[in-house]
Amino acid sequence: MLKFLKQVSDYTKETVQAAKYIGQGLAVTFDHMQRRPVTVQYPYEKLIPSERFRGRIHFEFDKCISCEVCVRVCPINLPVVDWEFNPETKKKKLNHYSIDFGVCIFCGNCVEYCPTNCLSMTEEYELAAYDRHELNYDSVALGRLPYKVTEDPMVTPLREFAYLPKGVIEPHGLPAGAKRAGSRPEDMVETEK
Amino acid sequence: MNSGIDLQDVFIQSLTDLGLPTGAAKAIWMPLPMLLMLVSATVGVLVVVWLERKISAAAQQRIGPEYIGPLGVLAPVADGLKLVFKEDVVPANSDALLFTLGPVIVVIPVFLSYLIVPFGQNLVVTDVGMGVFLWIALSSVAPIGLLMSGYASNNKYSLLGGLRAAAQSISYEIPLALSVLAIAMMSNSLSTIDIVQQQSGYGILGWNIWRQPVGFVIFWIAALAECERMPFDLPEAEEELVAGYQTEYSGMKFALFYLGSYVNLVLSALLVAVLYLGGWDFPIPLTLVADVLGIDEFNPVFQIITASLGITMTVLKAYLLVFLAILLRWTVPRVRIDQLLDLGWKFLLPISLVNLLLTAALKLAFPFAFGG
Repeated sequence: MLKFLKQVSDYTKETVQAAKYIGQGLAVTFDHMQRRPVTVQYPYEKLIPSERFRGRIHFEFDKCISCEVCVRVCPINLPVVDWEFNPETKKKKLNHYSIDFGVCIFCGNCVEYCPTNCLSMTEEYELAAYDRHELNYDSVALGRLPYKVTEDPMVTPLREFAYLPKGVIEPHGLPAGAKRAGSRPEDMVETEK
Repeated sequence: MNSGIDLQDVFIQSLTDLGLPTGAAKAIWMPLPMLLMLVSATVGVLVVVWLERKISAAAQQRIGPEYIGPLGVLAPVADGLKLVFKEDVVPANSDALLFTLGPVIVVIPVFLSYLIVPFGQNLVVTDVGMGVFLWIALSSVAPIGLLMSGYASNNKYSLLGGLRAAAQSISYEIPLALSVLAIAMMSNSLSTIDIVQQQSGYGILGWNIWRQPVGFVIFWIAALAECERMPFDLPEAEEELVAGYQTEYSGMKFALFYLGSYVNLVLSALLVAVLYLGGWDFPIPLTLVADVLGIDEFNPVFQIITASLGITMTVLKAYLLVFLAILLRWTVPRVRIDQLLDLGWKFLLPISLVNLLLTAALKLAFPFAFGG
């Protein structure tokens, strides 16, 4: 009899506990309702990519020395470096360079290791195309600079959370010169001097 | 007891005064409340769909529909229009007759149940003597339609969904009926009008939720399961069963399922409001208010205000419960089929039985408080 009563009381305790947890969960969801929507109305509003954003890779043809370091550090040997040896100058002459962004994982190893800094990351991320072969960028396409979000008259640029002034969580309608929290690199250089 | 405005009597009286026979006047009256109920149920669904999308968005820190009409209120209308114009596909190897009949059988009983939902003393399509029982009987027709459409689709996911829906409905109907029985015992009636009547008079203190808190919780859980709402939406668990019994449906037939599920949700919320939250009753007894203000209870303006307040209160209570259901959807994860049946048979059934026995005992012990 006692064992049975204990079972009943244990069961009741568990039920009360379950109800308590469901209540806590409801409190959490209810609290979420009064929070600011994180929505960015995409084609009309865009987030400003951060400085370290790894977007489409930019390539400067004239700087390249055809060393193929980018190919070696690439996880899948993706960049295609087409060069030939010029016996007169005893230098490699670059004919063509291409990266297929349909395959690239944007790890940034090539940018990191390029000895002449001819590769760099841009903030471009809108790479959608109707044919995957259109994503195979040649040296001309790689040399184009993306259009900045902040300069596009069709787009309202929004700052990311870490770039908002201290205590502000709403990126809409910021005053023009509002500075983000903490010191910026320029300020740090000044104080170092 | 103040019976309030009786539209039916007034309507028939004025028509007979015009020289019509009483029978003809009654026949003219009859379709009016039915039509009104159908329209208000459909509009109620549009509101619930909009609320569902907006509240879901808010709970996930999104905005939700925004550009389709002011605050996106026309989004459900756009959904409906789209479904009306879609092609009506019947799968090649399905049973065309049962496939078509399925959604119809699911939807009709739900709309029929609106017969017994009262919005005021005389604001009900018909005051059936066994009102709540009629609702329980009608709601057990729906799983036949679900099973029918699942089986007729000739698709394993549809069949599984249909079977799950049937199993779920059967196992949750019993605790539902038992908790309704406890209410019926206290009210000495199955009529929804009498049940509200018995709760009114003391304002918020007289509502059944104070006398039947366990019954309220059981009824709400079982009603959610009957509506296949989120913690119990196994029959259409999209991760496992594509869309359950709805998988093969498109166009108007799918729209019927969609409509049926939301009408059912509103209906369940309305019935919870009627059975446990005092229906059209205002939290403060209105006769008391009339006494304090020195207004006659039979004052026409007061009666109109009372009637419209009654409708508002019923709808408000129902929509609060719908809000709770939507919030629960984003709070509680879906249960597994074994957990669902465990909860139904091993938890809700014994508890509702104990609740029924306890109500009977309390009714014998304290007849004044438990409707002796």
